Amino acid sequence: MRRTYLRILCLGNDILADDAFAFRVAARLHGLALFGAEVMEAATSGFDLLEYTVGAPALVVVDTVQTGQASPGTVFELREDDWKLIPGGSPHYIGLFEALAAGRALGLPVPEEVVILAVEAYDCLTVGGPMHPAVEEAVDEVVNRLREMLRQRMGAAGPAAAATPEGGTSPPANG
Amino acid sequence: MSSERRRIVIDPITRLEGHGKIDIFLNDSGTVERAYFQVPELRGFEKFAEGRPVEDMPQITSRICGVCPMAHHMAATKAVDAVYGVSPTSPGRKIRELVYNAFVAEDHLLHFYFLGGPDFVVGPNAPAAERNILGVIAKVGVEAGKKVIDMRRRLRRIMEVAGGKPIHPVLGLPGGVARPIKPEEQDEFKKTAADSVEFARFTLDLFDKIVLKNSDYVNLIVSDAFTHRTYYMGTVDGNNHVNFYDGWVRVVDPEGKEYAKFKPEQYLDYVAEHVEPWSYVKFCYLKPVGWKGFTDGAESGVYSVAPLARLNAADGMATPLANEAYQQMFAALGAKPVHHTLANHWARLVEVLYACERVKQLAGDPEIVDPNIRNLPTEVPREGVGIVEAPRGTLIHHFATDERGLVRKANLIVATQNNAARIAMSVEKAAKGLISGPDVDEGVLNQIEMAFRAYDPCHGCATHSLPGSMPLILRLRGTDGRLVRTLRRDSDGSLYND
Repeated sequence: MRRTYLRILCLGNDILADDAFAFRVAARLHGLALFGAEVMEAATSGFDLLEYTVGAPALVVVDTVQTGQASPGTVFELREDDWKLIPGGSPHYIGLFEALAAGRALGLPVPEEVVILAVEAYDCLTVGGPMHPAVEEAVDEVVNRLREMLRQRMGAAGPAAAATPEGGTSPPANG
Repeated sequence: MSSERRRIVIDPITRLEGHGKIDIFLNDSGTVERAYFQVPELRGFEKFAEGRPVEDMPQITSRICGVCPMAHHMAATKAVDAVYGVSPTSPGRKIRELVYNAFVAEDHLLHFYFLGGPDFVVGPNAPAAERNILGVIAKVGVEAGKKVIDMRRRLRRIMEVAGGKPIHPVLGLPGGVARPIKPEEQDEFKKTAADSVEFARFTLDLFDKIVLKNSDYVNLIVSDAFTHRTYYMGTVDGNNHVNFYDGWVRVVDPEGKEYAKFKPEQYLDYVAEHVEPWSYVKFCYLKPVGWKGFTDGAESGVYSVAPLARLNAADGMATPLANEAYQQMFAALGAKPVHHTLANHWARLVEVLYACERVKQLAGDPEIVDPNIRNLPTEVPREGVGIVEAPRGTLIHHFATDERGLVRKANLIVATQNNAARIAMSVEKAAKGLISGPDVDEGVLNQIEMAFRAYDPCHGCATHSLPGSMPLILRLRGTDGRLVRTLRRDSDGSLYND
């Protein structure tokens, strides 16, 4: 059985303009068939993200964000320390890290290391709306960062993993 | 006066422009003049729907919300039935209702334990650092926490098996469902259903021990700050009992008397929408009563939906244990209707018990394995309305098509729109009762949040919500927009004053 070093969870909505970003990234990753990475796509929210985290050795989440503080297409790399737990107002307010915290408190095997790659979106509210060109261009950058993260994970796992070829020379992920 | 007005913004920053934002305007004497609850809304749905086959609507609408996709799927499926003038077969209808009740049960459980939980299980006066999921788990215990996760997983499995997928179901087709239940699946569902009824009873007992035995909580529930005397709306069956899947929409007045009872296709005779310049949201009101502003009483068309409203609008529950819990709730809180917003948390648990009992009834029904799951539509498609009770309240889908079944017009009224006026009133009342002057502390933020959290509001139905919650930020502004002060509440309960 092939070992997984990194789970990449792509969150989005394919009919909501820039919110389709992570699914574009997932499509590229599937095409690259990266060795050692497990790519998942999900259109769910809040607490239900827990089931996508259980069993992951390490997790990178790809998503959009709207800070209003950066131009569209800006890529943020966020770690768990950057977020805090506070009570939310609706299921829309329960996030990944609350779900992870609950998973840990309940003794579930959730990953210790979680990184979010979030791209600043321009519009996530127009049904059927177009993707902003700058957001679309960020697909390359995020894919490259993910490949680098995977390389680092495999390097940290030891020389045998690091020496394993990745990218186009590896067997298909679903093979 | 207006030049001295100040504006406070409470903004839970989430990924979508701050899902819910509260603007509070103070006058020069420091008292609250108005408070506004704002939510962003999806744009372009009607245009997106135009020209698409109406039978695609159950799939498309389920993708506009990651929190209650099943509610949209089912409301749209029923609207498509109506467009084609076809009714589901008896097994088809029962399978739909089975899946739908499993959904309501698991969604309500999530809300009680992990969303309302911080307010009630942990407590409204607990330190902010404990008022989260971890605090709930610490209070109810790891074993109960594991049970919540396991029960939701099993209820969602009913949705997955019968619905095709748990997140974006594909079971609803005009005139029925896509597949029957297999006998071995029925066996599994029966076991899940029996366990879910026990878990619902356990949860009501927990509520009784933690909340109802605590006079502070009970006083908070019945306090004037969280009380509005409005109309209530919910769907009922032929016996005026709560039904989530189908029936008549019933409205009771602030005295509890039946004001209206109508079928889905009549909704435009009763529901109208009011627009305010400061909000994206269209505020629903009862058309025959009229819009009289953000005010309660029988003269005002403001009404409420969601668990408490449903229980107020009905005469009881259709299953025995839930009906007992229903009677207990109203006996404890006084005469019907109950006007205390925070009683929604209790009403939600009565509904959990009903949903689980209904799942048990339907899972044990021999008809659900019958292969006669669909009546094929033969009529020319025209126009139709589908209504279900989403966990957050009455959800209306309305489609009109050409003779080929391509959508010409689409209209959705989501639960939070029905509740929007009352939510705005609750926020304003809480703000007026709690704020005098610009010195606002964290407790005030909690209590204002509680005023809208009880409704479990749905904000800008986007499909997911990473990265989730952030510290609350409160901004005090002059009327020229100049920032006077920023307060930030962090997870440890500390306030940062920038």
